[in-house]
Amino acid sequence: MATTEHPESSKLDHALELVGVKYQYQKSSELALSINKLDVAPQEQVVITGRSGCGKSTLLHLIAGLMDPTEGSISVAGSPMSSMSGSKRDQFRGRHIGMVFQTFHLLNGFTVLENVLAALMFSDFPRSEHRSRAKQLIERLGINTPSARIQDLSVGQQQRVAVARAIACSPKIVLADEPTAALDPEFTNVAMDLLQDACRSIGASLVCVTHDLSIVERFDRHVSMQVPQTQEHA
Amino acid sequence: MALSDWNIVTRSLRSRWFSTLLTAMSVAIAVGLMTLLISMRSAGENAFKRGTGNVEILISKESGPLASVLNSLFYAEAPGNSILYSQFQELKKDYPFAWTVPTQLGDSYQGSPVMGTTSEFFEVFEPAIGTPWSLAKGRIFESSFEVVVGSEASKLNRLNIGDSIVLQHGAPQSAGGHHHDVFEFNVVGILNPTGTAHDRAVFTDLTSAWILHAHDRREAQQGEHVHTLESDLIESDKKITGIYASIGTRKAALTQILSSLRRDPNWTIASPSSTVGNLFQIVSNIDQILLAMAIAVLLSSGVSILVALYNSMDQRRHQIAVLRVLGASKMRVFNLIFTESAMIGVFGGSVGVGLAIISGRAVSIALQSKVGVFIEPSLPLDGYLMILLATIALSCIAGIIPATIAYRTSVVRSLRHSVS
Repeated sequence: MATTEHPESSKLDHALELVGVKYQYQKSSELALSINKLDVAPQEQVVITGRSGCGKSTLLHLIAGLMDPTEGSISVAGSPMSSMSGSKRDQFRGRHIGMVFQTFHLLNGFTVLENVLAALMFSDFPRSEHRSRAKQLIERLGINTPSARIQDLSVGQQQRVAVARAIACSPKIVLADEPTAALDPEFTNVAMDLLQDACRSIGASLVCVTHDLSIVERFDRHVSMQVPQTQEHA
Repeated sequence: MALSDWNIVTRSLRSRWFSTLLTAMSVAIAVGLMTLLISMRSAGENAFKRGTGNVEILISKESGPLASVLNSLFYAEAPGNSILYSQFQELKKDYPFAWTVPTQLGDSYQGSPVMGTTSEFFEVFEPAIGTPWSLAKGRIFESSFEVVVGSEASKLNRLNIGDSIVLQHGAPQSAGGHHHDVFEFNVVGILNPTGTAHDRAVFTDLTSAWILHAHDRREAQQGEHVHTLESDLIESDKKITGIYASIGTRKAALTQILSSLRRDPNWTIASPSSTVGNLFQIVSNIDQILLAMAIAVLLSSGVSILVALYNSMDQRRHQIAVLRVLGASKMRVFNLIFTESAMIGVFGGSVGVGLAIISGRAVSIALQSKVGVFIEPSLPLDGYLMILLATIALSCIAGIIPATIAYRTSVVRSLRHSVS
């Protein structure tokens, strides 16, 4: 069980709040995840580490509303995700949650610009502003080939596009799943600078799950997850 | 411009363009075939019925009423047996016809059939009911060796008033017919189009037609340098191949006259409109089978839409999962796939209707030049729209299963199993 609270969380609204969250893949199976309480303050950057199978990625999927917890509640920016209907949750995710994946999961066959525009399709931003906003973001993140197709980009450039897409809707929280696992060690710092700076620039909180202990120091807080029932506070 | 669902749909269709094109073309061919059959069905019958004009009784010595109608009214072939002109005159006396027109077929000009007849052909006979003959140029023949040309025949052979032509013995389809070189015919009139088989014919007076054949007879008897005039005609030269007749306003007497005529085994009696009706009853059984086949092809092309989209779902799961992560609802991804399916229907249906219109026109031209029947295979706009809507509906039904797969795609599983 992990119990982690930001020191100032009582004074701030939570960007993320998990209470008594448990998850089982099937009713009869063992717990895949169990968290008594986890708060993330606005703009706080939290790193979560743990062994394979401790439920790090599952945690992100639960926060994003891609899976339903077996028990407990999850709130993002004060909105209770776990009690929302499916379509409301999808809409909420599109507007307030950004995600970065280890393998980026960009849309193949689409251009850099279109990948960022795809995220804006589901945002609150007026359609008339989508293009200019996407172009600004791409430029700000140092991508100078907005018309290039994703499959023609280097891994480093794809990472930039993934970050641009994650922050395009100006989310309250960005969830990063092993963002440096596909990168060579020398690019790890560059990639993390990019991701963390991007989140700071829009005032979003960052929750990053990783195996890579070398990046732990970069975060405001470190949470160590262990397999359910033996999880302890880092 | 912002990215829209439409962009995603079109991008997806374009990324699988070959499969999309093949699927849409199979829909187009099925829709085209079905549309053409539906439009030809009614247009064909109407055209044939219209082509019988105001002839109520057709008298000939053909093998049967159908051959008689097809040969004497639609110029399918030269009639096989002839009637002596004297027999025609006796027949006229025996029955209370309102009018009769003798016709003689057996010659042609450059593929156009030539009919020998009398000036009454242009006065009492209407090629299509309510549409009497009218001249575009010139006049009706007044003496021997003058011809009046149907609108199609004049276009086809580029004939104009004042042109001289030489006729060929035998029907247009027959090979090896000799030219009646000794006799030149002058074009004196060009007829306006009537939309019937008569448009592709050339008309001359009976006497000229008889002289041609009398000349052949005399040449065989007396040698090549014989000169034939009207006065050289003997009784057996004066032959006709058909008689157009009407009883005028006394319609009640028609059945009685027909049955009376049919009692004489020397004659083949046809009631053209009912003969055409009978022909289409036989044909309608065949075209119902064709129509059923076209519907089966359309259904199978619906299945091919389903298969094409279903097969693409394995590649699409990653895209769907990514869109779901970005905020697309399940219903929205359902609609994306559903729209793709409908788009194939819209494209295939539109091309199919277009193909039907174009091929209908081609069939119309071919039929007009080969059979002489003017068929305009077309449907009212509502009809085309109904076919298009039915095709789109079928495509939408075909898209339900792939769209449901998209709806039920597990985002987490799809992301885990795919590498960007």
